[in-house]
Amino acid sequence: MTPYEIRGLQGRRIKDKIFTSVVWGLTFSCLAVVFIILFYIFKMGIPSLNWALFSQGPKPVGESGGGILNAIVGSLIVVVIAAIIAIPVGVSVGIFLAENRGRKLADRVALAIDVLQGIPSIVIGIVIYVWIVKPTGKFSAYSGSIALAIMMLPPIIKNTEETLILIPTTLKEASLALGASYFRTTMKILLPAGIGGIFSGCIIGIARIAGEVAPLLFTAFGNPQLTGSIFKPVDTIPKVIFTYASSPYDDWHRIAWGGSVILVSFIIVLNTIIKIFESRWKVQF
Amino acid sequence: MKNSIVQSLALAGILAIGLSSCGSGGDKTTPNAANDADKQILGAGATFPYPLYSKMFSEYGKTSGIQTNYQSIGSGGGVKQIMNKTVDFGASDAFLSDADIKSMPAEVVEFPTCLGADVISYNLPGNPQLKMTPEIIAGIFLRNITKWNDKKIAAENPDAKLPDMDITVAHRTDGSGTTFIFTDYLSKISDDWKTKIGAGKSVNWPEGELGGKGNEGVAGMIKQTPGTVGYIELAYALQNSMSIASVKNAAGNYITPTIQSTSLCANGDIPADTRISITNSNVDQGYPISSFTWIILYKEQNYNNRSKDKATNLVKELWWMIHEGQAQTAPLNYAPIPPKAVAAAETILKSVTYGGQPVLQ
Repeated sequence: MTPYEIRGLQGRRIKDKIFTSVVWGLTFSCLAVVFIILFYIFKMGIPSLNWALFSQGPKPVGESGGGILNAIVGSLIVVVIAAIIAIPVGVSVGIFLAENRGRKLADRVALAIDVLQGIPSIVIGIVIYVWIVKPTGKFSAYSGSIALAIMMLPPIIKNTEETLILIPTTLKEASLALGASYFRTTMKILLPAGIGGIFSGCIIGIARIAGEVAPLLFTAFGNPQLTGSIFKPVDTIPKVIFTYASSPYDDWHRIAWGGSVILVSFIIVLNTIIKIFESRWKVQF
Repeated sequence: MKNSIVQSLALAGILAIGLSSCGSGGDKTTPNAANDADKQILGAGATFPYPLYSKMFSEYGKTSGIQTNYQSIGSGGGVKQIMNKTVDFGASDAFLSDADIKSMPAEVVEFPTCLGADVISYNLPGNPQLKMTPEIIAGIFLRNITKWNDKKIAAENPDAKLPDMDITVAHRTDGSGTTFIFTDYLSKISDDWKTKIGAGKSVNWPEGELGGKGNEGVAGMIKQTPGTVGYIELAYALQNSMSIASVKNAAGNYITPTIQSTSLCANGDIPADTRISITNSNVDQGYPISSFTWIILYKEQNYNNRSKDKATNLVKELWWMIHEGQAQTAPLNYAPIPPKAVAAAETILKSVTYGGQPVLQ
């Protein structure tokens, strides 16, 4: 090797080192942000976790104790109903897109889903307010669920579509060739084969909406009383955090931190479930 | 093969859970829902009285069995929701403008429930107790006075050690009743302010000022940076023991903001519809940057298929708020409404009807 070539090689090695360290550095700073946020939330929130937080409703200022049972139950109601509405619709649209790739209508639908994904959540909340709350004259858990269901649709549809595309067409053809109807093929072959991806899509959707407060401000509204009815206003955990964090009282700040820990833990659990599903039930042929 | 059986079972399970929770969701409307609904009151609006209202409604619920749901969505939201008839009562830190009243679908009435005040809080080395005239306050917030050792401030505070330090001004960026009270006061004391900025829940602040969200945002800025001054709610300032300026009122006295001096400010005459701004009032010992906060409801309660029981429960509860409920104000650093305002509110609540008949007999 001539000295010139060696110098060139060294230059490249240095460049490579610099680039690698920049990538590592940026990766770590991103990780650091996540861990600092998590650390801070848990540091502030864990001291305020107690049985009362899970077993009692809110107490007015000046009275000790009090919890967010009403909001935990409310969040569960709103999210479960949203999932019940969004999952069948989302999975159906996903199947449609996967089965009709390249057709004009499918392209339009896919575009519509992309647009839907970009609509700010507060706008969805206002639309549902005008469509449902104002005409009925009532704030209700189900109106909040509908707003959240709309937000859940894009991730469910995308995951369903992308999972089903991975399933070899030979599998479908085999089923059809054996005389199974199209419906039977979809229900018995396609969906079971892609269940892992579809399920993780549903959970991504739930994780996306669990922390939303904007679409619920004018739909599910809030309610200090515990209620199991979907026709009444309900509190949700993010809403309680929002209200309590902006109050002047230390007691309420503590409850807001406790609520944050519950919410963040829930999201972490959901994400862990997604990872497990993705690794165990991956579409492999 | 085994795997696919597990997978179809999982799918069936998801569907089953979905269907069953669908069923239970529907079942939860109890047969005597009509009775329950009469005992559930929904209100929304101003953030400022939220802690007080939640305490009042909790106390009232213990004796009456009425469940009240008050959501602090902001004064503007409260007016909007009563207009759309989605709530039983609205709450606002500013009384309804003539335009607001005109755009309501039916006649509404409003009455005050308590008083709040804005205090001028600051962070200076050594924590001197400052006195401020209307002129100084307008000067600072218009950015005409920019140094803490300005001659005007020094003249009013000969004993205080004023540093040669720039004044940093903090204000609320979110629309708020607190800002409305403060800018309403400034508009009354300064023509310059009235023409340049005006009064409102959010205004175009002069350049070079800091903005913070909520009382806590402004308070945080004041605490963090020496030389900062801002306005915050009295309840918040007392709760967090912040430095507070005493303000020269229209009668010429320096008044330290307290619950008593705030209440005194409302001691003047109250018009029959209670729509009065009491900032800069000339009551001798009244703190001048004070205001009522109001509750708004429809005068005729027979709308949207509401029952007479519900109307009665609502009006009785509101009646309780201006009488027994007032005992809850002082412990939470709110000022109770004075007797004249109580009398005006009584007349208003007595005028509320159901099907043309007074609700309160």
